[in-house]
Amino acid sequence: MSALTGFKRSDGRWGFRNHVLVLPLHQVLSNTAREVEGLVDGAVAVSHDWSGEVDSDFERIAKVLAGIANNPNNFATIFLTVGTPIETEIITRSRSLGATELHVLSLSELGSMTALLAHATNLATQLTQKATAVVRVDAPMSAIVLGLECGGSDAYSGITANPALGLASDRLVAQGATSILAETMEILGSEHLLAARAITPEVGKQIIDVVARYERSISYEGIDIRGAQPSRGNIEGGLSTLEEKSLGAAKKAGSAQFTGVLEYADTPPTPGLYFMDTPGHDIEQLTAFAGAGVNITVFTTGRGTPTGSAVMPTIKVATNSEMGLVLTDLIDLNAGTISDGVQTLDEVGDLIYQEILDVANGKLAKAEINGQHEFNLSRLYGSTL
Amino acid sequence: MREILFLNSLDNIAVCLGDIESGRVISQDGRSVTAIENIPRGHKISTRDIAKGEGIIKYGERMGHATQDIACGAHVHVHNVLGDRLSTESS
Repeated sequence: MSALTGFKRSDGRWGFRNHVLVLPLHQVLSNTAREVEGLVDGAVAVSHDWSGEVDSDFERIAKVLAGIANNPNNFATIFLTVGTPIETEIITRSRSLGATELHVLSLSELGSMTALLAHATNLATQLTQKATAVVRVDAPMSAIVLGLECGGSDAYSGITANPALGLASDRLVAQGATSILAETMEILGSEHLLAARAITPEVGKQIIDVVARYERSISYEGIDIRGAQPSRGNIEGGLSTLEEKSLGAAKKAGSAQFTGVLEYADTPPTPGLYFMDTPGHDIEQLTAFAGAGVNITVFTTGRGTPTGSAVMPTIKVATNSEMGLVLTDLIDLNAGTISDGVQTLDEVGDLIYQEILDVANGKLAKAEINGQHEFNLSRLYGSTL
Repeated sequence: MREILFLNSLDNIAVCLGDIESGRVISQDGRSVTAIENIPRGHKISTRDIAKGEGIIKYGERMGHATQDIACGAHVHVHNVLGDRLSTESS
């Protein structure tokens, strides 16, 4: 038995789950998708608030919806449509991505919400039965596409969970896996240090450029983040410079070289460590990862956020024991043992590494057990980010 | 129980895991540092002498520079450290 097992998709990517995703392509069908999820064991659903608008955010929305339908953790995806051309455009785009078995059920063709629910439930039942028959096979480490995320950070994030996760990420990347750091606002201040770790000067320049683009977008609102950071609370907590604060977040990505920079929800073309340009909002970032084909994520948290994803197992790592030992039904691992002085970064890094493999191999993360299927479409409303 | 956290072998600081009193000798992980002033929990202690202008290294990366000479065992914070970026931009 290999250390890692998964489901190989026809396009060469790997999944660690074999979901049947029910994906509404219009907001009004979100409830139907949720109903199918509740009725069919093995079906998962997301709901969202897009109702067919074609504006400056359409490209971003279409990319995420087509991408999540094709996330390699899906055995199949059932699109629920009201029957408009714009929905067809997203389905066509999703088919061109390749791997996942795609089905479409249209309200206008079926004629009623009752018929749509009945057909979707029947189809999801058939597909989950087919999915159950597929067995896991030995997978190479390059099968892993890891998303790195932090939310509800605290004074310990930068010295416990984040650097420990960075050790696990480095170890995976060294073995051919892919790992993605995101949240542009969080690397502001250490972008020059991250750029120095880029594999080529061009990639380094891209890292600098995405941060500059973000700064331009917020400067319209008169916000000077560099001047105001670190905040008074950060300084009381012991952080002395903006670089230090920013490195604390970026240390989720360890010390590996950056192979490339990805736009929101872009699929990484080759293995390695990437930076993805995303907003700082946790769920919008997880949604971008799902659209990019990330198949497992690790989420460090100081306050204990329950957030998860319909398609990606999401491992929660607590940054402090005060929270980590209390919110045990949503925390998978407690890295607070580092600041308690009882475990080393290396020891916790090893635990995170093993947890990633265990969850990839089928162990359910707490967010999966809790059915946390958050999904937020990111909108820019015409700003330049 | 560790009292301070060494994050990277390249670092010239460590992070205090509890309030450290002046004169406290911390021996752990095969190293020894004596605090020369009180340092609060979560703040940094220098693990060797750092000259004015020298980089402050945390996580193996340069998080700023010393604005004065910092002796081993001292509190390393905003009174003797400045970020490189911020200082360049404001000059």
